[in-house]
Amino acid sequence: MSDATKVAAAASSRDPAVGLAAVASLRGLLESLEELQVSNARAQGWSWQQIADVLRVSRQAVHKKYRRYGF
Amino acid sequence: MFERFTREARQVVVEAQEEARSRKADEIRTEHLLAALYTVRDDVALAVLEQLGVDETDVLRDIDRLHSGEPAALDAEALSTIGIDLDEVRRQVEEAFGPGALDRTRAALGGPAGRLLGHIPFEGPAKKALELSLREARHLGHDHIGAGHILLGLIHTEGGAAHHVLAARGVGLERTRAAVEQLARREAG
Repeated sequence: MSDATKVAAAASSRDPAVGLAAVASLRGLLESLEELQVSNARAQGWSWQQIADVLRVSRQAVHKKYRRYGF
Repeated sequence: MFERFTREARQVVVEAQEEARSRKADEIRTEHLLAALYTVRDDVALAVLEQLGVDETDVLRDIDRLHSGEPAALDAEALSTIGIDLDEVRRQVEEAFGPGALDRTRAALGGPAGRLLGHIPFEGPAKKALELSLREARHLGHDHIGAGHILLGLIHTEGGAAHHVLAARGVGLERTRAAVEQLARREAG
């Protein structure tokens, strides 16, 4: 990241374009990390219920989201 | 419901899936059906759009701008504004799961599982538009559902993006109906 960008980012912290882009990207990162961890947990024999408990979501939610991946 | 669709109309439905896939959408939406009309090059639908002064390039550009619901690509600069160092996250993840682990997830590749497994469902308004294309054909007294009727179905479906893309260019149901009817009559006669 260039210095100019850094300055622009620092100077515009209340700029919705910057803030919303950060949130969108954070969501993308979250999705990737969750997928990796769920896949890893399944590979290690965890049940959907165990995964759901640690993620603090319902078993149905996590199962519905990831069963199509074949984990 | 596709028995009475013409070859071109069926092709539009098939191509809409390709349009959705290439745009990394998780469902086939009305704008994908609209874009598909341009790939199938059916005489009626495209002739009507041209007659109504709708420019293909403009429409496709508008469709490309509709990116709602698509997962955001990981943006290192955006994340750095909230103190997250994406390179460091990537490094740590790769240490545990191997090179490219973070960027190889389905989420990072841009779409839900369905897309990668080949099956993309139709969203509600797209389904409705196809149903309405049947009704439009019947309304005009036509036996078969062609691409022109799909165009009418898309305009008729106010909940879909295609309706809005076309409405922004002044394309309304009544005028389009008249144009489709006229062209069909000319082809029949």
